[in-house]
Amino acid sequence: MRTIIVGVGNRILGDDAVGVHVVNELKKHVNHPDVTIEEASTGGLNLVDLILGYDKAIIIDALKTEEEVEGEVKRITLDELSYIHSCNLHDSSFIEAVKIVEMIDKQLIPKEIIIIGVIVKKQPCEFKEGLSSKISASVLEAVRMTLVELNSVNPIQKNI
Amino acid sequence: MRMVTIDPITRLEGHGRISIFLDDKGDVDNAILQVPELRGFERFVKGRRAEDMPQITSRICGVCPVAHHFASTKALDAAFHVDPPSAAKKLRELMYMGYLIYDHTLHFYYLGGPDFIVGPDAPSMKRNILGVIEKTGLEVGREVIKHRAYGQKITAILGGKATHPVCGVPGGVSKGLNKDEVKDIKNMVDSCLKFAQFTLRLFDEIILQNKKYVDLILNDSYTLKTYNMGLVDEKNRVNFYDGEIRVTDQKGDERLKFKAEDYYKNIAEHVEEWSYVKFPYLRAVGWKGLQDGGNSGVYRVGSLGRLNASEGMATPLADKEYKRFYETLGGKPVNSTLAYHWARVIELLYAAERAKELINDPEITSSKIKEPVGEPGEGIGVVEAARGTLIHHYKLDKKGLIEQANLIVATTNNAGAINMSIRNAAKSVIKKGHVDDSLLNMVEMAFRAYDPCFACATHTLPGGMPLEVNIYDHQKQLYMRLKQNL
Repeated sequence: MRTIIVGVGNRILGDDAVGVHVVNELKKHVNHPDVTIEEASTGGLNLVDLILGYDKAIIIDALKTEEEVEGEVKRITLDELSYIHSCNLHDSSFIEAVKIVEMIDKQLIPKEIIIIGVIVKKQPCEFKEGLSSKISASVLEAVRMTLVELNSVNPIQKNI
Repeated sequence: MRMVTIDPITRLEGHGRISIFLDDKGDVDNAILQVPELRGFERFVKGRRAEDMPQITSRICGVCPVAHHFASTKALDAAFHVDPPSAAKKLRELMYMGYLIYDHTLHFYYLGGPDFIVGPDAPSMKRNILGVIEKTGLEVGREVIKHRAYGQKITAILGGKATHPVCGVPGGVSKGLNKDEVKDIKNMVDSCLKFAQFTLRLFDEIILQNKKYVDLILNDSYTLKTYNMGLVDEKNRVNFYDGEIRVTDQKGDERLKFKAEDYYKNIAEHVEEWSYVKFPYLRAVGWKGLQDGGNSGVYRVGSLGRLNASEGMATPLADKEYKRFYETLGGKPVNSTLAYHWARVIELLYAAERAKELINDPEITSSKIKEPVGEPGEGIGVVEAARGTLIHHYKLDKKGLIEQANLIVATTNNAGAINMSIRNAAKSVIKKGHVDDSLLNMVEMAFRAYDPCFACATHTLPGGMPLEVNIYDHQKQLYMRLKQNL
């Protein structure tokens, strides 16, 4: 079972980078030939390109919602997904990109796509490195949830 | 005065907003687009190593990392007083063609093209790549995906990484090409060339053979008579990687031609209190507000701006298409905003042809790809990003650290024109207080033609561009709201 974990975010845009921080931490806990860990500062088609050919994809990203509490970590499946940091005016949305590939060759899309989202309340719009204290405190929970997700298919990793 | 507000980005961010002001008769008086700006870049880079700038700036936005990467690298060439070897320039340009191939393919088939291929009257949920595949067939879909990926792959081979290249260094590039890579790229480029020709045929069949679409392109509401700007080579032909900045007027005659380092002598920026984005204009003409015509310094960049600002394309097939473009649309310059789409496809053909020239150049495998750098100073770099002229300007201290940085990005260059296009589109569908149902679509088509890239617009809802229209009466009381994809 080949699994890819992608941390999505812009390293120089504050809390937007939470996905990148999570995968950096994950690398300390995961060492398995069937598991690939990537960082991506992109969405839409480029993000879909990255996950093609894997059996399972776990995408970790900042999510901005109205309802949830800042710093909360959510597990979302593709069906539940209504929005994700993966789209801009010059790209397809992530879901649209998945659908296109499905039309062309369904085999390429991972059977399972899970999003681990860390809730942010304010759109990061200022260039800076590092996370705010609230979001930083959520990194370990996101790592834990990702490991649980990973262990359901590659039960070799140590949960924390 | 009544106000109509269109919120094109998302309810999640609450940014990127179009407001349309009506006069007391209920006709459109003015329209403004407000977009957010990522803040603090200058502060963020101050004191950092200049050599890191091509990587840092490629992260400013996920849309045009390659353009930022090379505007930055070229600014460093100038700042370190070094002229890269000819092979390095060719490698950079080849990589740039890969970027243009995937970027223009993406816009035509996924973003802007669906308005025409699926049809401007089609429901918004159909005006996307899925609608394009439904109309043109699965085989076309496969080709689109394949060639967008080829563009990406060419960029990745040369750049080290597809999205955030690491190859550009002051004085050259860090990596050359081996024979296997050359063979790989040759095959991909040949295929991209055929694909670009196919795309032009498709444009012809679906759009140009349809009088309704041609009339729409030439429609007054989508016409803007501004100055045009773009980089040109020594023969005034379109160039993306190098050359001088040329500006032509409303008759197509040359108004200005200057080197990148003289940009601030020629371009000034006007500040409006309602906008984060500054409005660049031609200093020599002056700021006369958001209006077109010879007395207003507003100019356009991007595919249409480039074609208008030049005298041809430097490759034979694209040049033939360039001539046909002007013959078909009534001579030069073409002022129809929707012609940006056709111009983009002609540039796609150019990019494939130019990539073919470069990959077949024996010098492309040269190992002489970097010159030693000189003392640090001040440097300005310019390239044509897919969306238009992009300028990076850095001042370095004696240790080679960034003291000051200034960037003028493509969408900012088009800010004045985009606002006017939105206003004109709104004027055509709002008359005496009656708001036509096609308002959202007309406005969306107007600004989508520019392929704008708002730095902050990275989080958005799936399935299409969210639009919200709030209509206010002259006392600014809300009386109607229209939404799409929200």
